[in-house]
Parts: sequence; structure tokens; C-alpha cells
Amino acid sequence: MSLPPFANEPVLELRRASERAKLTAALGELELPLRVPVWIGEKWRSGDELVSTDPGAPERVVARSASATADEAADAVDAARAAFGPWAATPAAERAGALLRAAAWMRERRAQLAALVLRECAKPWAEADADVCEAIDFLEFYARGAIELAEGAALLQVPGERNELRYAPRGVCAVIAPWNFPLAIPMGMTAAALATGNTVVLKPAEQAPGCGLRVVEALRAGGVPAGAIALLPGEGEAGAALARHPDVATIAFTGSGPVGLELLRIAADVPPGARQLKRVVAEMGGKNCVIVDADADLDEAVPAILASAFGYAGQKCSAAARVLVHEAVHDVLVERLAGAVAGLQVGPAEDFASDVPPVIERAAQQRVRSYAERAAADGTLVSAQHDVPGEGWYCLPVIVGGLPADSAILRDEIFGPLLSVEPVRDVDEACDRIDALPVALTGALFARNPRTVARVVARSPVGNLYVNRSTTGAMVGRQPFGGNRLSGTGTKAGGGDYLLHFVEPRVVTENTLRHGLVV
Amino acid sequence: MDPKDLEPGIQRVGRQLAGAFPSRRGHPIKVLDERAMNLASQDAELRAALFRFVDVMPACRSLDDLATHLTGFLDEVGDQPPPISAAMKMGNTKAGRRALGAAGAAGVRHMAHRFIVGSDPVDTLATLRSLWRDGIASSVDLLGEATVTAAEADRYAARCAAALDTLSPAYAAMKPDELLERDAAGPLPRANLSVKVSALTPLLRAEAPERGQRDAAPRLRQLLRRADRLGAHLHIDMESLDSREAVLELVLELLAEPEFAAGPSSGIVLQAYLRDSPETLDHVLEWARATPREHPLVVRLVKGAYWDHEVVEARQHGWSVPVFERKADCDANFEALTRRLLEARPAVRVAIASHNLRSVSHAIACNRLLGGGDGDVELQVLRGLGDDLGHALAQSGLRVRSYCPVGDLVAGMAYLVRRLLENTANEGFLHGQAAGVPLEQLLAPPA
Repeated sequence: MSLPPFANEPVLELRRASERAKLTAALGELELPLRVPVWIGEKWRSGDELVSTDPGAPERVVARSASATADEAADAVDAARAAFGPWAATPAAERAGALLRAAAWMRERRAQLAALVLRECAKPWAEADADVCEAIDFLEFYARGAIELAEGAALLQVPGERNELRYAPRGVCAVIAPWNFPLAIPMGMTAAALATGNTVVLKPAEQAPGCGLRVVEALRAGGVPAGAIALLPGEGEAGAALARHPDVATIAFTGSGPVGLELLRIAADVPPGARQLKRVVAEMGGKNCVIVDADADLDEAVPAILASAFGYAGQKCSAAARVLVHEAVHDVLVERLAGAVAGLQVGPAEDFASDVPPVIERAAQQRVRSYAERAAADGTLVSAQHDVPGEGWYCLPVIVGGLPADSAILRDEIFGPLLSVEPVRDVDEACDRIDALPVALTGALFARNPRTVARVVARSPVGNLYVNRSTTGAMVGRQPFGGNRLSGTGTKAGGGDYLLHFVEPRVVTENTLRHGLVV
Repeated sequence: MDPKDLEPGIQRVGRQLAGAFPSRRGHPIKVLDERAMNLASQDAELRAALFRFVDVMPACRSLDDLATHLTGFLDEVGDQPPPISAAMKMGNTKAGRRALGAAGAAGVRHMAHRFIVGSDPVDTLATLRSLWRDGIASSVDLLGEATVTAAEADRYAARCAAALDTLSPAYAAMKPDELLERDAAGPLPRANLSVKVSALTPLLRAEAPERGQRDAAPRLRQLLRRADRLGAHLHIDMESLDSREAVLELVLELLAEPEFAAGPSSGIVLQAYLRDSPETLDHVLEWARATPREHPLVVRLVKGAYWDHEVVEARQHGWSVPVFERKADCDANFEALTRRLLEARPAVRVAIASHNLRSVSHAIACNRLLGGGDGDVELQVLRGLGDDLGHALAQSGLRVRSYCPVGDLVAGMAYLVRRLLENTANEGFLHGQAAGVPLEQLLAPPA
């Protein structure tokens, strides 16, 4: 099979009124609530133990979902294990074909899928659309990558022997996904596992079962066998039961640090009778910093910082949390940021004019608000008041300065619209502070001296460093994404080597000498 | 009108204008400037280095800092010509850096004087008077930082108001000039200010145009009232495609308000490099015919100054490129739009803003063939780049307006530099002229 080279799925050109109208129409036609089952093979169990609601209008139910029991988790793994042999034996190009058809299925439903992402997770239109595109990108990208990987790797050859390296799938992969990229991230992890011949049990976030259902529907519609992909909606316990199952070979996880560490502990505990070491591909949180040097173009830094910190209400792992600004431009930057944040519109995701949508749920709202109170107590708030809709899990965008070095605001991942600003003597001091953090996911640098850029690049520990642009918006194939240190296992979603985490290399050496002759 | 009938007129006008260009012999500094700009426009790496230097200059805190940046940028030029190697050596010592920083700053200031007529409107009056004496009107454009806060939008609006207050009485005191003050549609205001909507609101959002529109409306309304009271013209510039809908709808909506039916004179911009500019013109003309005004809406036709931005943005997002990628297609569209605009009079007034000798000659010839007087179409040039063309046009009895940026020399230059580079690109007429391209080729129909 010869495929055209990978290209990112183009996002909608929302500056055109006709495109905006199409999305608004799709939202109007969205039929809710969705029914989300525990879906193992051909077995479909409905239920309504789990309910997802619109964060902007919590009385609106988006999905009624079954919640998987521990027994169902075991059933799902058993089914996936049974399906593993045939799927692993399916030629890579055929598996890729199923993924490409799943991409096509999603492409035909771009607007409807974006509308569901918007409703279930309050992701504003541009970002909801980008989420759909990224899911398509992962399918297209990993399909191609797996075909290439099936070629194996070149080895040194000498007369009289033949050496081959092939990559074999590892077995059953448990995919434990977050709600903040409710299509893209589960699809990315699932597609990587499937493309390389593993079978998958997907546990979507409990906040986004509806999107999880669409991921599985797309894959099955594309021709992935029913046994090879199971949907296991549920809460934390379902995920833990899944991860602990001895037949789960790989755990692909994106989410919070504590859960990621728990999964690593589970994986490290090898029970008697286990036949494989579990591998964990984990993408966890960050405390992402933006350095602003004295020569930065503030005209560009201000909007980019705002987008990084407050886009999707700060609920991206890549979002900016701290600004470290050269003391020479600190005051003017703070003044401009404060003025700009005052102009942000806090409102529902479906309003194209909204800058800051609600956060995902009541608990998140309470957490962010309590951090905001703490920020006000520890430091000085520099942002203004806003009108906030009465219902919905809205949080005011907040900028805080003057925090003591040991403030929790400078350390904890808040995952909400809260940004701190600190003056530094120079970029080296900024690098020292960043180096002191245990996490290293994304970062940005605003500076115009090429030598400064080179210095910061050399010192930066983060997985994704952005120079003179926002910290968010990584694209498949262009910005392979993932963090270092406690931010993750150092894997790069959407990068060329991601698939290697889902396979095990096997080397075969054949002696080709018979009675002294090369045969 | 048959294109066959138009072509001889275009050639005649073009040759006449080329002959009216002032001789360069008497201007050694101009020759030197042009040599520097040619050098920059021929070497992409050097051009990038100089661009970045001018761009960062306002943010540099000392001569040493300036020199460090300059050598940092030049370091990335692969094949360093001798003057650059010399500059790099200077960067090795403190004294050398001070000297280099001073030289760099002087260079940018010198360049800035050519393109920026003054640091504030009062400062510019001598230049504007001298232009008027030479038969050239002006439109003043206030340079400044991007607007990201409401306070910055208010400050820009206040600067615009102050500029109107300064320009209007100053122009009132100038000698009458029938050609610059009246066309077939009636009297033309002398004072003329160009404003940018992106500076009047921090809330321009490509996917929510009504938001910036709503926020800019009160500030623009105040400026329209002031222009009306002072008898000045207020022109609203067009920027990138991301803000086109907001800008166009804002202006058309405000000008349709009853209080502005009698004034002020006002206008918008049509960008010929946009593939869908003919449809935009349909929309504008429909509005103009349905919205009678005492001063017809002025439509300034330009090629557009955001070509690179539009292409890069489209490529990054996988969108179809909204601008013509072949210069000849853009030039042909420019001519087609010129003709449609001229034929749409008196519903609109027409200003042709181009440094392309062919495009300008086409507009003049087309206007004459349609029976217009030479004063019935305005020709606009950019201060510093189109000065020779402007004088040649004025001396030929045509109605000329020079678009004059005003602002801090150093900071302003950083905002201007992009526009200048666009205009020094290889395909520009000025470049062709400087490179000695034969006149027949410069005047050939776009193909």
C-alpha cells in the first residue's frame, strides 16, 4: 500500500462566517443524551451509573453511561487477549487500512464530533475542532508509522548468517485517557497500540464517556475487529482493576501526576504467575513556565501568554502557569497583561466570542477557586473583575504577582485559569527556577537575541520548548509532545518514535552455513 | 470599453510619467539608501538580519545591548561580506560594541527619517506644508505598539483625536489648490487621517468579528464625529484577512448611521491580492448604492501589505491560500477592480494606491477613457518609497496623496519595517526600476 505523505488535517477556517454557521447548526442538531455502554466484543451493556453533563449548563445531560465493574474489566482484558493473536497476525498494512477508514469516518462527522466535544467538556469551538483534527492526525500518522515499523530495522550482516530485527506487539494495552482532549488523546494512545498489533481496552475519563464511545465507534466502523477494542467507561477503580490485570502488557496513560505514579507502582508490582513486565507510557502534568527577556516583543508576548494560560480555562497539560520576566520589563508586562485579562470574556464554549469557558466540573471549580483565594492571600492579584454566567463551573481568570518562593501556587499544577508572574534578574535566573522544578513538560521563551535563545535551549529540561510563541497547540508530526522528569515517561505522542513503546523488538539470527557452504 | 482602446493610453501615460521622474544624480544620499536597500533585498539572510535588528531596536537598553543584538543577527548570515566581518570584529570589545551600537542606531534613525515624517503631528507640519506646496495631499498614519488593553485603545483614539485637532487648522491655513480640493463629486477635505481598527480595540477575534466591532465602535464613532466637526477625512485602513469582516462591517455599519449621512468624508480599503476581493467589492458597492452620503465613500485600492502573513497562516493551517500567489494574477485583478471602481462613481470615490507604474498608468488611462477628469481619481503613494512617483504624478497635473507614517523614529521604524520589506521585494516596481528593467517590460500588461 502506498500512502500519500502525512499531512495534518486542516482545522476549520473559523474566520469565515459560513464555517461558523455550520458548527452552530451541528450543535443544534446534536441529539442528547448519548447512551454509553460497557462494550466488550459484541456485548453491549447499557446503564446510567455514570452521567456526564455540560459544564456550562450542568442540568443538561450529555451522556448516560454504564460504569464498568471489576469483573467487566477482567472480561474486557480476557476478550482483548483472545483477539490478540489474530490482530497481531494481521498484516500491518491491513491494520493501517482500518485506522485510515476510522479517520475517514471521523472526517465525515467533523462538525458533529466537535459539537459533542464542546458539550461534554466545554471546549470552545476552535479547540473542539482542533481536538477532532488531532484524533484524525493520530490515526493517519500512526497508520503510516506502523507500516514503516513492520519493515523492522537494519542490522549488520556478515557471510554465513542472516540477522533480522522485527517489532512484535506486546499484547493487551490498557488505555486510560483524560477528558481535556476527549477524542484526540484516547484516540492517539489507542491508535498507536492498535496500529502496532496490540489489542486495546479503553477507559475514557468519567467526565467524557460520550467522546470515548465515539472513539470506539470510529475504530469499529473502520474495521478494527470487535474483540480488538473494548470500551470500558467507569471511574478510577475500573482503571485500577484494568491496570492490575496480569494480562495487561502495556498501560498507556495521560492524566494527573498522582494517578500516573500509582499506575507506575501497579506496574512495578509483578504478581506471582505474571508472564510479562508491564510497560507504562505515562503523560502527566507540568508547571509550565514562560520566560520573557528584556528584549522580548511584548506586543506578541502578551496575547501569546494569555492564550497559553487562559485558553480552554487553563485546562491543558501544556498550559502556562508561571511567567518569569526580566525585571527591566516586569512592570510594563504586568500592566499590559492585567489590562488584557480584563478584556477577556468568560462565557459558554458555544459562544465564538468566549475566551474563558467553564472548567470541567464542580470539584475543579472549587479547587481553582481555593487556589485563587490562596493566591490572593499569599500575593497580589493583578487582574480585574468579570461578568460570569450564573450557572456553570466558571472560574475568573486570575493573574497573581508577589508570591513568596515557597508558595504552593508556584509549585502545584492547578489546571485552571490562574497565572503567576515573577520578576527575575535575567534569563539565567529564570532557568535556575525552572531547573528547580520536579516537572518539565512545556515552556516558552520570548527573546530576540539568537544567543539568548541558544543559551535557554541548552539549559531547558522541558519536553516541548516554544520560542516566541504560545506553549499550547502542539501538532502531530510537527511538535511531538510529551514531558520529562516527573511529567512523564519521556514519550512523544505524534512523534516518529512513539510506536516503539508499544512493541518489543525480536531478533532472529539464522546460520546460513551448511557444511561450509553459504545456502 | 474595449481593452484594445485602453492599452495605447496606458503606454502613453506610463512613458510620460517615467520621463517626469526626478533625476537621481542630485541626491547622493538617496542613491546610497537605494544601494543599501538593494543589497538587503538581494540577500535573504542579510535582509532577515537587518529586519530583526530594526525590529528589536526599541527594546534595546544600551548601545552595548544594540551591538550585541546586531552581531547576534549578523552571526547567522552565512556568507559574510567584508563590511559584516568588520562589524563582527567590533563586537568583540566593549568600545567596539559602543561604536557599532551607535552606528547601527544612527543607521536606523537615518532610514527612519526617510519614511517617518515626524514623531508627532505637530512635528510633521513643515513636511506636510511642503508636500502641499508641491501639489501633494497627505494622509497621516499614527504608528504605535499593538493594542492589547482597553487603555491602549483609548490612548490611540486620543492620539487620533489630537492629530485631527492639529491637522485640520494647519491645513486650513494652506494656500488653495483646486486640484487637491475638489473633484466631480464635490469638495475634498484637506486634512486626512488613516486609522487602524486593530489599534482601536484589543478584542479583534478572527472567529468572533462582532466582538471587536462592538468594542471599537464607540471609539471610532467619536473620531467620526470629530472629523465631521473639523471637516477632515477619516480613512479606515485594512489589515490582515483575520480582521477584514470586523473592519468592513464596523465601518459600513457606522457610516450608515443617520448622524453620519452628511459627514464626515470617510473611506475603506480594498486589497486586490485577495482572491475574493471582487466579491468584497460587490458588497461595498451594494452598500454604497443603498446608502447615499453627502461625501461618497472613498475606496482606496491597494495590493495589500500582508501577503507573507496570509500565505504562511494558510500554509500552517492547511487552508487554501487566500491571496494570489502569482504577481501577474494580482496585477490583473488590480486592473479589473480599478475599472469597476471607476465605473461605480459617483456612488464611491476612488483612490489608487500603488507604486507599480503599470497599475498607476492603467488607472489614469482608464479614468480618462471613461470620461473622468484627472482630478476624479486619487493616486496614493507611500512616504519614503513612492516620493519620486508622487512628484512625477503631481507635476503631470494628477491628484496625489502621500500616506505619511508619524511616530517615534525608533519604535515607529520597527512597526514600519515589515511594510518596507514588502515593498522592497524583488518583484516590486521600484526594484525593477532600480535594476534597470526596460520601460516596455515595466509597462507590459500583466500576464
